[in-house]
Order: sequence, then structure tokens, then C-alpha cells
Amino acid sequence: MSDPVATTAFDTRPDTSVPTESPLAWSYHETGCPGVSQKSRVVLRERAMLGHLILRGGAIALDEALREVLGLALPARPGGLNHDSEGVRSIQWLSPDEWLVIVPGGEAFALEQRLRNALGGAHYAIVDVSGGQTLIELEGEAARELLMKSTPYDVHPANFPVGKGVTTVFAKATAIVRRPTEDRWELVVRRSFADYCYRWLLDAGEEYGVGVEA
Amino acid sequence: MSQSLKQPNRLREGGRIDRSHTLHFTFNGKRYLGHAGDTLASALLANGVDIVNRSFKYSRPRGIVAAGPEEPNALVQLGSTEAAQVPNVRATQQALFDGLTAQSTNGWPNVQRDVMSLVGKLGGRFMPPGFYYKTFMAPASLWMTYEKYIRKGAGLGRSPMVPDPDVYDHLNQHCDVLVVGAGPAGLAAALTAARSGARVILCDEQEEMGGSLLDSRELLDNQPADQWVAQVLEELARLDNVTLLARTTANGYHDHHFVTLHERRTEHLGETAPVVDDYRPSRSRMHHVRAGQVLLATGAHERPLVYANNDVPGNLLAGAVSTYIRRYGVVPGNRLVLSTSNDHAYRAALDWFDAGREVVAIADARRAPDGDLVAQARERGIRIIEGAAVLEAKGSTRVSGVRVATIDAAAFKVTGQAETLACDTIASSGGYSPVIHLASHTGARPSWNDEILGFVPGLVKGVHAAGSARGIHDLAAGLADGVAMAARALETLGMTSRAIELPQIDTRREGAACGLYQVPHEKPTLRAPKQFVDPQNDVTAAGVELATREGFESIEHIKRYTAMGFGTDQGKLGNINGMAIAARCLNKSIPEVGTTVFRPNYTPVTFGAIVGRHCRERFDPERYTALHQWHVENGAEFEDVGQWKRPWYFPTIVNGKKETMHEAVARECRAVREKVGILDASTLGKIDIQGPDAREFLGRIYTNKWEKLAVGRARYGLMCKDDGMVTDDGVTTCLADNHFLMTTTTGGAAAILEWLELWHQTEWPELNVTFTSVTDHWATMTITGPEARKLLAEISDIDLDRERFKFMDWRAGKVAGVPARVFRISFTGELTYEINVQANYAMHVWKTLFTHGETYGLTPYGTETMHVLRAEKGFIIVGQDTDGSVTPEDLGMQWCVGYDKPYSWVGKRALSRSDTRRDGRKQLVGLRPKDPAVVLEEGAQIVLDPDHPVPVPMVGHVTSSYYSPTLDSGFALAVVKGGHQRMGETVYLPMADGKTHAAEIVSPIFVDPKGERQHV
Repeated sequence: MSDPVATTAFDTRPDTSVPTESPLAWSYHETGCPGVSQKSRVVLRERAMLGHLILRGGAIALDEALREVLGLALPARPGGLNHDSEGVRSIQWLSPDEWLVIVPGGEAFALEQRLRNALGGAHYAIVDVSGGQTLIELEGEAARELLMKSTPYDVHPANFPVGKGVTTVFAKATAIVRRPTEDRWELVVRRSFADYCYRWLLDAGEEYGVGVEA
Repeated sequence: MSQSLKQPNRLREGGRIDRSHTLHFTFNGKRYLGHAGDTLASALLANGVDIVNRSFKYSRPRGIVAAGPEEPNALVQLGSTEAAQVPNVRATQQALFDGLTAQSTNGWPNVQRDVMSLVGKLGGRFMPPGFYYKTFMAPASLWMTYEKYIRKGAGLGRSPMVPDPDVYDHLNQHCDVLVVGAGPAGLAAALTAARSGARVILCDEQEEMGGSLLDSRELLDNQPADQWVAQVLEELARLDNVTLLARTTANGYHDHHFVTLHERRTEHLGETAPVVDDYRPSRSRMHHVRAGQVLLATGAHERPLVYANNDVPGNLLAGAVSTYIRRYGVVPGNRLVLSTSNDHAYRAALDWFDAGREVVAIADARRAPDGDLVAQARERGIRIIEGAAVLEAKGSTRVSGVRVATIDAAAFKVTGQAETLACDTIASSGGYSPVIHLASHTGARPSWNDEILGFVPGLVKGVHAAGSARGIHDLAAGLADGVAMAARALETLGMTSRAIELPQIDTRREGAACGLYQVPHEKPTLRAPKQFVDPQNDVTAAGVELATREGFESIEHIKRYTAMGFGTDQGKLGNINGMAIAARCLNKSIPEVGTTVFRPNYTPVTFGAIVGRHCRERFDPERYTALHQWHVENGAEFEDVGQWKRPWYFPTIVNGKKETMHEAVARECRAVREKVGILDASTLGKIDIQGPDAREFLGRIYTNKWEKLAVGRARYGLMCKDDGMVTDDGVTTCLADNHFLMTTTTGGAAAILEWLELWHQTEWPELNVTFTSVTDHWATMTITGPEARKLLAEISDIDLDRERFKFMDWRAGKVAGVPARVFRISFTGELTYEINVQANYAMHVWKTLFTHGETYGLTPYGTETMHVLRAEKGFIIVGQDTDGSVTPEDLGMQWCVGYDKPYSWVGKRALSRSDTRRDGRKQLVGLRPKDPAVVLEEGAQIVLDPDHPVPVPMVGHVTSSYYSPTLDSGFALAVVKGGHQRMGETVYLPMADGKTHAAEIVSPIFVDPKGERQHV
């Protein structure tokens, strides 16, 4: 059984104020942000600098630890996505022994420590991937059609209810597609593919007057 | 440019066109008028344009034959400008718009006066199948020359030479039931599925939905058929669960009910998509449909009869005649002769008569036709010649008459004396072939149905056909079949279907059809005037007969020998007739001969629609590191490494001139060897490995040992595939006892993660270990060179003392105020620190290094310098110095192989095979050209004796080669047979330009062979 001290948790966040750049910094600079107008039938909004943790391990142990530490149940169903009551912390099923936790920036390291304590001797892994991906929100009446242009996954409400998330093909890259609320969709894209995805979204969204909210 | 304002063949009333809305268009340089609702074909016929093209091989004048996608002749080139050129558009499928400009696809210099027709006329009889290959066979070298002129003469349209101003896109669709075709069966099926609550997509390739109901004589609930169509479409349009796609062709049926639909969104509006609100919508859209069940309501194509000169303009399909009259208000001539094998085709004569023009006669191949439509023709006093058929058309640029005689179809004989009748139009019908193309795409073989004299589709699981598409041609029965098949599809999905009320239709008595394909002629087929089977590819009955005489018995071979049903035609018009002729010649039945395989696409799809938005800067993802902007702003030239854009080198301006790559790389190399350089190494694959069995796993997947690697230390590792060949390498670090960070090559990152998962999940699931990609999470900045320590010390709190932070150690601390893991590993041979920080802070750290770096001569370098520096040290790059046939020992890296590890590891067994142990394997060595100015070519072959007679035995090749500013000489890495035993020998590299370079085999380590510099 693993000894929690035998893995290092490493807080990647500086304790002083240091300039940061989200994975879309270059895109904003190079491609720009089309404004939101009356005509915008879809609006993009990056939720930058959030804490992203990958959890690996047995569902029962992880579920207990999460309930204790975060007050959130582990989605056991494939494609499940649970949010806390404020809607700011979430946990998503990724694969049979893999979940993604997203929390506000700055909470990730403390959460990792508390989870490690709660998990004790269970076999698990927690990996901080906060620098490796970013979250993009899509809202508006054309959001679903924009996704239909981008992913072969069926995003019809009949197949994609609120509280679902999948890892799937996005244009020629991969992305996590989630539906936290009735009207809002989320994409979690990898840092190195973020600019490609952003350019793809703006191009596909031009038809709907896509705007980007800073 | 002359202008014709009359439309001599346009009826005063009737049809679905809008006579109040007049449109101008140009065909072959001449201006004409048409109306909204016309196709280009109906407008050309309205204007009395007989010749629309020249035929492909014989250059014969050709006119419009059909009204749909089966049209073989009216292929046009669209576009008034170069950018708007679209080849091979069927005039029957192109909606007319104001300003449309079209040209015949074939015909040089023009369709009226065609040079190649001379060849066709003179050579006609002497141009059998295979003519070009047989005639222009020798000398072979000249074929290319012949071909150029033959192609120019024949041609099949041309692509534009300038960029397309239009955009095209894709949309992914999902549904429970995809209904292809919005004729009677398709509409009934879609309505049934829609009312049952299923997600339905209904697509139809025509401008308007309704199919045959748009020109039907029948009454539905005592109303014209199109009123029922309008009612159904109105209801479907209101339903949320229904997607209606008009102008949308189902082009390809792929595995798992994946169907591609090509929607032409603006092609009816203009030659480029009109801009609305500053936005140019996509011209066409490819719908990628993944359907639960597919219902094919694709209808049937009418078969023409094959008689002599049946390709002279004025020969039309009977159904097309009806369509032009009833849907477009166009009568394509004045005096009609109809030749038919069935009742249904009588519609053409009735519509023609009712439009006020003369029906000269109906030649009915049956002895005593007696259906209701026959009776209606008799009531109108139309002459019916029983047991007869048109043997031959007269005329050259337009039909001027026919020869009709009684025939014995079964015996393939003309029985009576031929009678000549004057006419300008011949309508023919030999029956109806279900459109089985899409079903055929799935690989299912169609089967022959004697009752309907046609092939019906073979259906794989989840595919249903309804109505005419499976041979149910009667309207009332077809509607009911649509409902029934929709119910069956829904049942398969576990859904309950709700019945719909079908309209009342008066039953009509229809006499049985007879089988008639090729009409006999007084002369034998090989002597008779040409009887065309496939006009688009100029395949004649004689051609098919000759093919059988030359020994081709399989219909697939006959198809390839004659070109029948090739290309954009895909056997729509002529295939069944061709099979019937082959069957007659081979004394077999049609089902015995069988059918050819139809392939996607059903009709041509423009490349733009296939590509969609995956073009130009979106063609392939470009992956950027967190430091990309700095690289761009500092003038980096980029190199593609997989999908990554990596800085290749950083040219600076020297004396007003931008450095060449050679100059930049020399400067960057010197900076690293003498001062300090910096490389963005973020693209290296990084895999976080956790678990109590992590160390054990590493020992099994790497060739070397890991059990003693201490926390705080790093080790180089080599990975083999199970064949013992090197597949990846990199440094793995022990972060904690149960926690490792593996690095992989940039290109290998994803594949190695999968490789680890594969072995863990399939072979060693008992090991408690997990793998997570952290490639994007960490940014990696490599500072390397003698000044690296001093530079890092300025901005880091880590103790950099050489005794306490040794080579192959790692330490955590802060760099520029940011938590970092710093690794002392080296790919240059110099003192090196690899600084890893969370990527969001990377730019700050990088810039801070430069703020402090000026004092030390900090120089950014790219992949080219990295390559030179590592090659000087003999460090391999997997995939460049290895090619999947190289073992660790071949590389001289036996120090990195732990044969005595307690548990076996991937590749171990293969490395004990005799082949991997033998002498004379290609081994990695260094090469020093005798002339230091020479930089050997990578890939150059190595020989031992340049004077050896050809063929010279080749003993190896150059894998990496550069100029080294440190050595002031070219140098190379190479693999050479038995190379490790050949140190000091001279080898030779004969080049393509005749020069031969000499080089000495040396150790692959050119700089600092003892490795002292990285330990300082």
C-alpha cells in the first residue's frame, strides 16, 4: 500500500504576485477577441487559472474522500459530471478509474493535500494538471450547433443531458465537452491545442456572430 | 453575343415555375431567358437548345436525356470567372439563377463544330473498347504525348486555377431514422417516424421535396399530388424532432450507418455564395450523419431502350418528358414517338398530347397492352403500334424521324417491315431500375426481381428500403410501404410507431411490362448503327458484345474493358441494359451475369465540401508551447516536430543582414559551448507515474535498471519494443519513492503513454501504478553552457553547489519567484539545468532569465543547434539515428541494458535471438570527412571500395550530419556493418553528382569524450 509521503505533492503556485499567462494568451494577442453584440448567438468565455486535478484509483475510496473533503459525490456513471451547490467545483468521470476535479484557482494544492490525508493507505494517484489545460464556456442559442460543427459526438439534449461530460474528438484535436447547465456548455482543452481550438471556434462561430467575453 | 428572348418550347401555363420571375443566363456564350424554378436543363430545353455537349470518345452531338442525376450528357462547366469554375455539373441538377454562366464540358473548339467528331465519324467503327490503348500502344514512350492531345480532345471539365472564394463546412448530425428521398414513400416514412417521436432527418437531392409527386397525374384525396406534399412538409417543418434537408444528396453510405449528405446551400442563388450581413455563408455543407436506422426511399431510374442512334439529340427518357412538361412547363419538341415496354411510360404521350403537341405514334413492345393509361391514349386517338419498337433514330444534330418495326424481343429479332415516321422527339422506356446505389455502398449485393424486371437492393442490418427503391412502383402501395418500413425501423430501435392516415388514391389498372433492353436491328449488333448503352462513357451494345467475344465473361471485367458505368455516371442510366446485353451474348440470365458494384460518391462532390473548414491554417492543429509568443517576437524560424511548432533557429540581424541558418546555428553553438544558451524544451513528452509498483514497472518497460534510483536522482532510460529494437529514450526522475516523472521524445509522447497503458492493462494489471500525461502542464526551459550556474544562481534559491546538486540530480526550489523543479541533465554535454515550472508562469520565468542573462551572453537556440550539439556528443535521436531495426547494442549502449534484472523486460527475449547477436549488424559510429569542408548528406550510402564494379555492396548510411563550429569541420553519425570493429578505417560515400567523399570511422563522441564538461 502506498505511503502518502512517498509521493510528492508540489505546489506550483508562487506565493508572490507573478505575471501569469493562460493557454489562450497568445490567441488573444494574435487572433483577438471579437466583441459580443446583439447579434451574437453564441458567446465564448475562458475560465482561466482554475485548479485542475486528475484523480486515479478505486471509486469507493475516492468517493468517500471526496464527500469528506469537498462534499461532492464521485460520479460513478460513465460521462457523469457533478457540481457543488455553488456550481464552481466539479468532478467528472473520465475513464473507469479516472476523474477530473476542477476547482477555483488556488484551491487545488490544499485540496490535493486534504485528499491525500483522507485517502490514507489506499492505492490512488492525484496529478495536478492546472497548467496543462483551460476551460472555455459556450453560451447562447447557437452553442449546440457550433459544437455540432466541431465534434462527432451527439450533443442533442436527448443524448447529452445536463450533468454529462465526455472526452471526444474536437475538430482535429481532442477536448472534454461538458454540459453543466441547461444553457451552458464547457470545453476543457489542452494548453498546446488551445490556440487551434480557439481559432476553430471563432471560425465555426462566425456564422452565429460569435463574441468573446474577456 | 447574340440574345434569344423567345422560349419556343415553353408552355403558356402549368408547371411549378414562376413565369413572372424571369432570369437571364448564358450557355456557350449565348444569352437566354428562363424562369425561377427552372433547372438549367429545363431552361435550355425551353429555349430549344438541342446540342448541349459532345460525347466523350466519339465526339457525337448530344442533347438532354433525363431530368435528374441519371443525366449522361448535359455535363457543364459552370462559372463566369476563373475562381467560380465548377466542372461536371449536371444541367438537370443545377437550379437556374440570374446570371448563370455555363459551358459544355466537352467539345473543342466548340460543341457545334467539333474537331474530334471527325475521329468519331471516320474511326467510329474502328474505335472498339480499348481503342486508345490498342492503337497508341507503340512506342510506349510516346503514350504521354498522345495522351495529352487525346485528353484535350475528350476532356471532362477542368478545375479552377485560382483560389475558391467560397467556404464549405461540415456538420455532425445524429438521428434515430435517416430517410433518404422525399418522394411518396420517403414522405410517408418520415411522417410516421416523426409523429412517433423519433429524431428524423429527411433529405432529398432536388430543389424541392416531393419527388415523383411533383409531376404526377394522380390525385391524392381528390387533390393534385403536390398539395399533399405541401401539407406533409408543413407539418414536418413544424416538428422539433425533424431536420429537413432539401438540395441535399446522400452521397456515400459508410460503415455503422454513417452517411455523408452533401447539402448545396447557395448553389441555386449564384455562382458564389451571396454575402449577407458581411458574412459569406458556406456554399455547401457536408453533413456527417450517424443514424440509428436508415430508410432508403431513393426511388427508381427509368431505363432507356437501346436502339440505333439513340443518342441523337431529341432522344429522351419517357419520364423526363413528363417531368419537363408537368413540372417545368416545357415541351421539348413538336412531334413525339414513344417506344415503351410498359404502361407507366404512356404518361409521356398523354402529357405531350395534353400540352397540345402531336404524338405521332406509340410503339409498344407488348402484343396487346390494355392498362388504364393505354386506354386513355386510345381515347385521345393516339396511334399505338403493338408488338413494336423504335429500331433506329434518324437525324444528326436532332432527331428527324424513326424507323419502327414489330419485333420478337425474346428471339432478339425484327419480325416486320420497318416503317419510317417523321418526328423530332423520341421518348423511350424500358422499365424502371430501383436506385440501389446507397445500399450497394454497404457491400450488400442486390438481387434480381423478375416481377419488376430490376435489381432490388440487398440490405444489411439497420437499412430499410421503401417504395420504388425496392420495386414497389404503384403510388398507393409505395405510400403504404413507406409507413410499414418506418414502423419496422422504429421497432428495431425499440420505439412504438404511430400510424398515419394515408390519402385516398383511385386504383388504376396497370398492364404487365415486358423485358426489353436492346432493341433488335435488321443488321447484327456489330454492323448496325451505334446503339448506346452508356452515352456518358460512349459504350455501345457492340462494345459490350465485342467484350464478351474477346473473352470477358465477368460483368466486372466487361465494365472495366468497356468503361461502362465509370466515373461520375456510376451506372445510373445504362448498367442494367449493359448487363442484359452481356447476358444475351453469354447466353445467361441477368441474375447470372450479376451486377457491378456501385461506389461512393453517388454524384460528384466538390472537394471543398469534402475538406470543409479543415483547410489552410486549420488543416492540422498547430501545437504551441507557453513561450510561443516570445519566439515569434524574437524572430524565430519554426520547424514542425509532429504537430508542434518548435523554434528551429533564431536568426539575428548582423550588419543590416539577416543571418543565414548556417550563421545563426554556428553562433548559437558557440554560445552554448562558451557561455550559455537557452532552449524551450517544453515539447518533450512528460508522463507522471505514481504507485507503489512504479519502480517495478519502469524496470520492466525500460532496458536498464531502476530499483536503486534514489529520490532526488534522474536516470537516462532506453525503451525497446518487444522485437528488441529501440523505440524511445529519455530521462526519468525519481520524485519520491512511489512517484516518477518520465520524459519521452517530443514525437513519441502520445504513443509511449499508450504503450505504457497497453502493457499495464493487458500484461501486468496486478501492478499498482498509474500514468498521466503532464506534457502540457509543465514548461521546460533548458539553460546550458559554462555560465549556466551563475545565471541560475541570480534568480533561484536552490543550492547550486556542484557537490550538493550533482549531475543527474534534481532539486525543487524557486526560480524567478516561481516554484520549480530543476533537473541537472544534459543533452549538449555542457553544464545544464532544465527548469520546469507550471506553464502559466513560464513566460515570466523565461523573461526573467533574459533580464539577467545579458551579462552571461544568454543566447536562445532552436532545434537545429540542439541537433548539432547532441550529435557532437554522440547522443542519439530515436527515429533519426534509429529506424526500428536498431538494438541498444547496435548503438553501443550495452551499458544501458540490464540482462541480469530479476524480472524480464520488454525486448529482452528478442535481444537473445541469433539475428540480434550476430556479427555484421549495422552499428552506430562517427564519421569524420577527410575534407573538413564537407558536410555529408544524411541518408548517403556508405561503401568500402569505391572502385568496386557495380553493384557496389553498401555497408551502411549516414543518419545525422552537420557542420560543427567547435571542430570547424563537418561530422556525422552513421550506421555501418560491423562498425564498432572498424575504427580508423576509411569508407567512401559516392554521391549522385558523381563525387565520392572519403571519411574516417571514428567514435561517435566528437566533443569532450570523457564527459567532463557536464559535471562541472
